Amino acid sequence: MTISWFQAILLGLFASLSSMPGMGGSSIGNYTLGRPLVGGLVCGIILGDIASGILVGTAMQIVYIALVTPGGTVSADVRAVSYIGIPLAMVALSSYGLSADTTEGAALATSFGTMVGTLGTVLFYGTATLNLAWQHVGWRAVEERKFHRLYMVDMGLPWISHLLFSFIPTVIMCKLGANVVDAIKNYLPMDGIAMKTLFTVGSILPCVGIAILLKQIVRSYTDFVPFLFGFVFAAALGVNLVCATIIAAMFAMLFYQIKMNQLTTNAQPAADDFYDDDEEDI
Amino acid sequence: MNPTINDDVEIIEEAEEEPKAKKLSKKALMKSFHTWYYGHLTCFSQEHMQTFGYLCAMLPLIEELYPNDEDKQAEAMETYTAFFNTEPQLGTVIVGMNAGLEESRANGNQEMDSETINGLRAGLMGPIAGIGDSLVVGTVIPILLGIALGMSSGGSPLGAIFYIVAWNLFAYFGMRFLYVKGYEMGGKAVDFLIGAQGEALRDAISVLGGMVIGAVSATWVSVTTSLQLLNDEGEAFLVLQDKLDEVFPGMLTAIFIFACWWLMAKKGMSPIKVMLLLVVIAFLGVLVGFFDPGLSY
Repeated sequence: MTISWFQAILLGLFASLSSMPGMGGSSIGNYTLGRPLVGGLVCGIILGDIASGILVGTAMQIVYIALVTPGGTVSADVRAVSYIGIPLAMVALSSYGLSADTTEGAALATSFGTMVGTLGTVLFYGTATLNLAWQHVGWRAVEERKFHRLYMVDMGLPWISHLLFSFIPTVIMCKLGANVVDAIKNYLPMDGIAMKTLFTVGSILPCVGIAILLKQIVRSYTDFVPFLFGFVFAAALGVNLVCATIIAAMFAMLFYQIKMNQLTTNAQPAADDFYDDDEEDI
Repeated sequence: MNPTINDDVEIIEEAEEEPKAKKLSKKALMKSFHTWYYGHLTCFSQEHMQTFGYLCAMLPLIEELYPNDEDKQAEAMETYTAFFNTEPQLGTVIVGMNAGLEESRANGNQEMDSETINGLRAGLMGPIAGIGDSLVVGTVIPILLGIALGMSSGGSPLGAIFYIVAWNLFAYFGMRFLYVKGYEMGGKAVDFLIGAQGEALRDAISVLGGMVIGAVSATWVSVTTSLQLLNDEGEAFLVLQDKLDEVFPGMLTAIFIFACWWLMAKKGMSPIKVMLLLVVIAFLGVLVGFFDPGLSY
């Protein structure tokens, strides 16, 4: 599998749209196009192999299931994961003759994507730093009371940052990366220590993704109980995710009602605050 | 919960009693909302984060409230040059609330000056970011992705399409709802989110999130060991993976997840350092035969 210039340019365009300060906006850009699962679909369509794209995207999605960027610090850059990592992993898989459907294929894809994603943080800081220049233009506009220029500053000029830090790196890496992948394959045999390590890392890395997520919701050790409860449901009883979500919703509802009962019995005045209004419509 | 917010609600209500009060049109409000919806992070920098998105979102409102009055416009815009950053989806409620505050100022409310507005905004950024991160990024997105991953197993595009549709409907209409509620209810909308009832809802959702994430991990993450002890005839008498699974299936996966959590949450390690540590562990594990993906050409 090779990547043509045209395909690389399309990938570069999607890389500019996704990412944290991406030009698609955070809902459509970062949280939709930037997710590796969606990136897998897009790359699959561009490279003409939807099934492989989705499989690679699925494997990488686990690692980045909760890419939280508290206070604007990133541990990985989604434009690099989804639009450099996925295409290169697809090339690597076809070059190794592996199917993404196998555990080995998924592990290779994961470690590939994560490597690229971590390197991609450079792109994130590059974009954010260059945006400072446009923001400088913005402050001038506020001073001179040319407020309409702000729209240009917020939604137009950052395209230049993305041309330099999303589009060009993606095009170059996708175009040259395919050769590098081939070189790696020739120098590193699959049963050697390096490749074994790479595959093993690929299967362990999703744990970090899940742990980042747990950091958001676990405040004490007892908060691990719901997590393990869900874990056991799937691992020991083989309950699928939709069913697990419904069971979880039932528990969440009970929990909420218990809490609300406590509120209404203990803190009458505080609860009253919410309902003493007579607001009007727009 | 927050006395300053409650005081503020009263101020808005007082202002609304005045005759011939200026009222923001639905068109201006929607333009402001859409500008925020799209542009809150497009011009991100570490120094100003969402400040420019906020300025752009306030501009349609300010132009409508102070028509042909450049000094008033400039004064109002100056307010929003202050730093702003929060979780953008849930943070829409702050922008909506702010539309109400600006309207109150335009109606001649003396107490609603730049300092008051910025005090309120700054006070809400932190709490809303905390709730938003755990609710939107920590719960809703993983649940949707978890379901989508299941639908996409085997390489079907169905799951990805499901996620695109479900998330975008949720994000667009959810944010729109928050904006309108923020404008209509002012401080009360925020009180709901960071108040006692909101906290109960939040706790309930994190129970839901925790369980779903547990199921996602058990379904999608698989750490296994190849370690086995052989007897004299070369037969394995102890296969560690089987022994661990007898305790409970997927135990090794759960242990690794817990260890990663512990390193990050309790030891304050950054995710990148944890990842590097895992590379070292994987390397050593492969050397001693604990890990073996079992590959060859």
